[in-house]
Amino acid sequence: MKVTLAMKPAAKSFISIEAESIVPKNFLDGTDLSVWRGNRELRLDEVFSVLVEGDADRSEDVEVVLSGETFRLKRVGEYMDGGRITILGNIGMHCGNFMSGGIIEVRGNADGWLGREMAGGAIVCRGDAADYCAAGYRGGRKGMTGGTVEVFGSTGDFLAESIAGGTVTVHGNSGDMAGAEMRGGTLVVHGDCRRPGANMKEGSCYVYGTVQGMLPTFRKIGTVQHGGRTLIRFAGDLANRGKGNLFVKDYEYLD
Amino acid sequence: MIVKDAVCPFCGCLCDDIEVEVEDDRVVAVTNACELGTTKFMGEKRLKNPILRYGDEWKDITYDTAIRYAADMLLSAERPLLYGWSGTHGEAQCVGVHMAELVRGVIDNTSSVCHGPSILAIQEVGHPGCTLGVVKNRADLVIYWGSNPIDAHPRHLSRYTRYAEGFFLENAFRDRKVIVVDVRKTETANIADEFVRIKPGGDYAVLSALRAIVQGKTDTIPRTVAGVTREQLVRVANLCKSAKFGAVYFGLGLTMTPGKYKNIRNAIELVSELSRHTKFTISAMRGHYNVYGSNEVNTWMTGYPFGIDFSRGIAFYNPGETTAVDILARKECDAALIVGSDPAAHFPRKCLEHLADIPVVQLDPYPNATTAFCNVQIPVAVTGIDAEGTAYRMDGVPIRTRRVLSTDYLSDREVLSRMYALMQEAQER
Ligand code: SF4
Repeated sequence: MKVTLAMKPAAKSFISIEAESIVPKNFLDGTDLSVWRGNRELRLDEVFSVLVEGDADRSEDVEVVLSGETFRLKRVGEYMDGGRITILGNIGMHCGNFMSGGIIEVRGNADGWLGREMAGGAIVCRGDAADYCAAGYRGGRKGMTGGTVEVFGSTGDFLAESIAGGTVTVHGNSGDMAGAEMRGGTLVVHGDCRRPGANMKEGSCYVYGTVQGMLPTFRKIGTVQHGGRTLIRFAGDLANRGKGNLFVKDYEYLD
Repeated sequence: MIVKDAVCPFCGCLCDDIEVEVEDDRVVAVTNACELGTTKFMGEKRLKNPILRYGDEWKDITYDTAIRYAADMLLSAERPLLYGWSGTHGEAQCVGVHMAELVRGVIDNTSSVCHGPSILAIQEVGHPGCTLGVVKNRADLVIYWGSNPIDAHPRHLSRYTRYAEGFFLENAFRDRKVIVVDVRKTETANIADEFVRIKPGGDYAVLSALRAIVQGKTDTIPRTVAGVTREQLVRVANLCKSAKFGAVYFGLGLTMTPGKYKNIRNAIELVSELSRHTKFTISAMRGHYNVYGSNEVNTWMTGYPFGIDFSRGIAFYNPGETTAVDILARKECDAALIVGSDPAAHFPRKCLEHLADIPVVQLDPYPNATTAFCNVQIPVAVTGIDAEGTAYRMDGVPIRTRRVLSTDYLSDREVLSRMYALMQEAQER
């Protein structure tokens, strides 16, 4: 089954639309769903032109395609457990929150908290992702626990904060404090980033570019070969329990 | 008439030993307060009555009209923002939360642009804090990190630290050491026993290094960390470990610099580490006299301290998304009620552009920078001067501010309660 949701142009409002109802599973029972713009509840067809082709009886067979001014949509794919969501443009905050299965593809850029506290499944973002990509929630101890997030562009700050499992790959650069409070899982940044692995306990963080503002509390162990690259291996964060692994191509301290 | 033990409604110290002399319903003299407090008591020129923007001009309107305007504005909005709250009393803040819930809006206070990061850090790792009195009487080491009390909290030093007597200290002035950590030599640094100068953006690294040194892992620390030599770091760590009771006070130099809440988290974790060796506490130098109260009121009423979004009928909290600066910059609200703060004086330009596009009502005694963005401004009595109510000191101690003179102005609580009553009526209809 393929569900196409084309956003109707908004008059002038920039108020975001919370659309946690847009998950493949929900379309098995039809399209009588609602979304919220601020404090107003709206029917799905007030916001989108809805087109359903074919049918399905399990979420794995449902594909949802979103187009239009989708940057105003928040929480798309929240608690998704199977199927596929394709966003042709940019997507708003909290896309794929708590996701446990299925695939989300964002062709454009993703706003903050992409794949927050994700447990399984896969998210692919062709553009950039903003702050807190694959991160946790405020005050929470564990962020992402499983699944994969792959960003082809760059990301903002606090990438994969408190990650405890799963794999996050960023092909571009990342901002400040990637993998802060890391306690498991794998984080790979192909480009540069600042202060990765701050206060990490466990897990592995790879930076194929240059680390700026390298934290003084990582102990250099030696070099390793990794996928054809020579990386410098550090253990840390010594301010914390210090059992994490940080591999970097190059680094500079703020000395 | 002389009013004794008045409470200064300016900074988070909330000094409660002020003497105010009043003649003909005017403050003529203030004793004990610092310059900031005295200026606040002496007062500026207040707005006389509510005003409504009328083209390029202001029109005088009645309180009834102004209150109805605000109620209608909030009721018809899809995502109203109720912002400010640090410059008013707790009783008014309570009404604000009720209003936000009723109209399903977002309520946020000024901590989202000052100590919000401190609260985020506390939510992650807790808060080993204590009251100011404990520090005054026991602390033999005080660290001001990224805060400059001589400028921002002038009597903090004289009432509680550097120049204060301490019950458990024989000679407080001699026995109490003061360390200042900052990116520049502030006035407070001049009166410190030890000044640690950090390169901008280097606080996190220095805190991490100190944590490792306190744990005895000095050997891995590079020769300098963000401009601070390893020798000095070791000296500071030793000063901390050998203190009987240490207290850290941090300010915006730590909360608003790169890393933000992670800096505070790191500082708290350093304090926890030090508490394995001796007694150590940490507290925020809260700015506005009742910003702490706003966090308290919000927390006991909604579960969250600031940036609370009621649009879905339940409280949702996510600083960076549900906080005023972010909402305005993203144009995600369609009306604003401002109480007890002056966002136009502090917010980024992008936020102000949106504020100029939406209807805005402000409750404030004085014309301020935000007035230029208002459709309606309602003057109110000043808490601690012609209105009374509860405020929370920077250490979380509630203190009832006193009324030192009487005027005809309504208090924030009175104006908001009337607004709320109108809204309830409209909802029932
Ligand atoms: S230190 Fe703060 S509370 Fe005390 S008098 Fe000065 S401004 Fe007022």
